[in-house]
Amino acid sequence: MRCHDLEPLIEAIADGSHEPSAEDRAHVASCPICSARFEQARRIEQWLSAREVAQPPVTFTAAVMARIGQDQWQAERAIDIGFNLAIGAGVLVILMGAAGLAWSLGFFTITIDVGALVNAAFSRVEGRVMSEAQTVLISAVLLTMALVFWWWAEAAAD
Amino acid sequence: MKATPEHLLVERCRQGDDAAFRELVDQYKGLVFALIARSIPNRGRAEEVAQDVFLKVHRGLPYFRGESKLSTWIYRIVINAISQERPELATTSLDDDVNEDRPRVQPGADDRAFGDLVLKDRLQKAIERLPVQYQVLINGHYLKGMRYEELAEALDLPMGTVKTHLHRAKRKLRLLLETEYR
Repeated sequence: MRCHDLEPLIEAIADGSHEPSAEDRAHVASCPICSARFEQARRIEQWLSAREVAQPPVTFTAAVMARIGQDQWQAERAIDIGFNLAIGAGVLVILMGAAGLAWSLGFFTITIDVGALVNAAFSRVEGRVMSEAQTVLISAVLLTMALVFWWWAEAAAD
Repeated sequence: MKATPEHLLVERCRQGDDAAFRELVDQYKGLVFALIARSIPNRGRAEEVAQDVFLKVHRGLPYFRGESKLSTWIYRIVINAISQERPELATTSLDDDVNEDRPRVQPGADDRAFGDLVLKDRLQKAIERLPVQYQVLINGHYLKGMRYEELAEALDLPMGTVKTHLHRAKRKLRLLLETEYR
């Protein structure tokens, strides 16, 4: 019974954080099982205290700073790409607006009868809305093509 | 050269001072690398993980409010990094894994005859089987510079609990040696 009671305290006794009673001390000294456990715990304590401390390589700090530089560059690049895309989108919206105005004024016509397609799906949509939908749809298609072309140009530049 | 006070160092790092962050890395790289190397035996991988820790420190510094010591905050990042590297040990309990019903070999003359080299190898394998929190606790406690108070703060545990956990972790090491690594 005493061995079972003492077993959870062996590590604390071995590292000196628990002072056993005289009776417990006598038992550990005389009991082969507790004595062996104490000896094992003591060896573990000694080994843990004396373990070699791994040192980082001399180039460690330089390697960390290089990774941070790369991390910052990637973050700035993402911002640049986003900014460029926003500028591009803005320019295209302006161009599409100009194209839509030119179309409205009859400087050129669009032969794709988008209105018929929209009318088939939405039978109650009025003519005014259909013509606006035509402009928006064409603008969206051209804007998407421009964004894809811009992305390809950025990737090619890299 | 005298070390910059912690709060000044953090402030300079936040302002983008590379020299300040280099000083921070130099100050903590020993502790961080030593802790990680004791849980990740592959040295190359340990270096990468240690670099990742400082990358996270750099990214997180703008959000570090100084409610804990910088070393405590870095210590928590180390624990998370090791947990990500050893996910199978991140959530295991100290009571898992060891079958205390297995016959236990009491250390005797033969073990002492094998000497410290064999014990060292067995102990290292046993430590690598501990849950991450206990690995870092044991590894941190026996490294210079990690006191009970810092460990308690990093693990968000009362100091008494830290001591109890340390004893339980060492007991598990002893049980592993007695039942598994004979």
